[in-house]
Amino acid sequence: MTDRRRLLGMAVPFVAVLGSMIVGLLLIAASGKDVPDAIEAFMDGAFGSAFAIGASINRAVTLSLVGLGFILAFRANLTNVGGEGQIAVGGIAATALGLWPPIASLPLGLAVIVPLLGGTLAGAFWGGIAGFMKVRFGTNEVISTLLLGFVALLAVYWCVQSTALLRQPQTSSATLPESLQIADAAKLPSLTGNAESPLHIGLVICLLLAVATAIVLQRSTFGLRLRAIGLNELAARRAGMPGGIMMVVALAMAGAFGGLAGAIMLQGEQYYLKTGFSSGYGFDGLVVGLLSRGSTLGVLAGALFFGFLRSGGISMEIMAQVPAALTLVIQGLIVIAVAGSVILVEKLQGAR
Amino acid sequence: MEEMLAVFIASTLRLAMPLMLAASGELVSERAGVLNLSLEGMMLTAAFFGALGSWASGNPYLGVACAILASVVVSAVQAWLSVNLRANQLVVGIGFNILALGATTLLYRIIFGGLSREEIPGLPKLAVKGLSDLPFAGTAFFQQSVIVYVGLALIVLIWAMLNHTSFGLAVRAVGDEPRSADKAGIPVAATRWKAVLITGFMAGFAGAFISIADIHTFTENMTNGAGYLALAAVIFGGWNVGRTIAACLLFGAATALQFQLPAMGIHVPTAFLLMLPYLLALLAVAGVVGRLEPPTSLTLPFQRGK
Repeated sequence: MTDRRRLLGMAVPFVAVLGSMIVGLLLIAASGKDVPDAIEAFMDGAFGSAFAIGASINRAVTLSLVGLGFILAFRANLTNVGGEGQIAVGGIAATALGLWPPIASLPLGLAVIVPLLGGTLAGAFWGGIAGFMKVRFGTNEVISTLLLGFVALLAVYWCVQSTALLRQPQTSSATLPESLQIADAAKLPSLTGNAESPLHIGLVICLLLAVATAIVLQRSTFGLRLRAIGLNELAARRAGMPGGIMMVVALAMAGAFGGLAGAIMLQGEQYYLKTGFSSGYGFDGLVVGLLSRGSTLGVLAGALFFGFLRSGGISMEIMAQVPAALTLVIQGLIVIAVAGSVILVEKLQGAR
Repeated sequence: MEEMLAVFIASTLRLAMPLMLAASGELVSERAGVLNLSLEGMMLTAAFFGALGSWASGNPYLGVACAILASVVVSAVQAWLSVNLRANQLVVGIGFNILALGATTLLYRIIFGGLSREEIPGLPKLAVKGLSDLPFAGTAFFQQSVIVYVGLALIVLIWAMLNHTSFGLAVRAVGDEPRSADKAGIPVAATRWKAVLITGFMAGFAGAFISIADIHTFTENMTNGAGYLALAAVIFGGWNVGRTIAACLLFGAATALQFQLPAMGIHVPTAFLLMLPYLLALLAVAGVVGRLEPPTSLTLPFQRGK
């Protein structure tokens, strides 16, 4: 029976994705745009060239990292909604370190690694605040991570508005509110060596971390403890587990993944900080985490799907004049459908 | 100086208004045990359909009606998912917010095209006869949009309903002890449904205020976190109407400083002032005002006999 139950559990995200995509197609048709044209533009932007595929996979890397962090914390029944803010603080830290000359001259690839670690730590700190608030004051982490997200996004704005922080020197009134480009030595190396493809070693980092996450969740004492706290915090505490510390660590780890994602976005493709550079990846990563039902493979699959969806969506907007907001509609519908079908699935599973 | 203070109070009230409307509605639902993270999405949906209705009909009052209708429809789906399907309220709320952002942006692009900022017929400001000319209070309180006065009346109504009617008692009962309420013959599901619909109604008002009364157009993601601030205000206010309204006014005042301080020649980084409401909200939810007790069954679905 367990096989059937697992199959049912996995069927839900698939059905939700499929149904939402159909709604998306209907919306394109309803808006009077040419559906085959839109599909062609979508395919072209998602898979059409080495560049498109590389860009889509890079997007998937960001989403996977946020999603992996999400499922780690979710194992302890903590919902991290702050991915967007964690990406933002990670990006700030990576930019600051990537622009600092002493770091850029470090040998042995440290010029790349130090900003990545800096971003990771910044994210961990940001997530840790929410964990601390949860343990110390009983603040619901959903609200605190959301609010911290807004603060972090405004911190990016602050950093690029003020020359005392990260804004490039203002030579004329036309100087954009952006940082300078980070040092070449701090940029992530290309994975393929092909100048056509933006694919960078973020993919390798992401896959290694995915394996590590799977091991931690399934084979380690730490993973077991997270699950125990998630299932019954009081019982876990009575059993002698340091419940409070575990919760702070869980949210800090989720934040660390977000911060690393931000650093990779910055060092991998964007190279300079600007307002809104996180552009919704935090929320998309959250969706990926939710859909995965706690499975690492599920995160990777979902991230690939949404990575290609995003690339295709952007191309659809440019080439077929279908607003990219369509992908948001599809995502929102997927989340609602999956969340709404939980009881239905339980009933079906229980009924054999 | 006095004139500036009057302007400051007026803009505080104007900026706090959507928060007060949304938060007082959300308060009812949370007292009944249902958390609507979708408040942001309801407000954004309302702002859009309000603008659309006002633009299409040329009548801002019809726009307000459209806004409320749209938001109530969203809240009905939320109620069905939260109460009947017993879905995770936080996750569903996030889903609605993503959907609302996507759908309103998409529809705006389809209907109005590109990045045009179509001006819509807005609600007039209503200078209260005799009072608006008062030297100080006139500028501060009595030159607001019509919706402000209606909204304030609705908030008083909500307060009275929660504290002095049997429905209010039922709302609090199903939010704290749904099992006992059920045994006492109070229909738990129906009461929660009504509470969520009230949230939708008020969020609709709030959204209409933003697009029709205040800005006179719709822009993408124009609520920009107001719904989350309203949620924080409910927590800050300890699930009490008066204190929640006070929290909204505080957030409104923090936002109003953005315009006020530069006018007074005080230079504080804009980013910090923009951050201020969220920082205050963070302090609030961290319980600087004392540890607050939420309704006992908040976010917990109810199922008889389980």
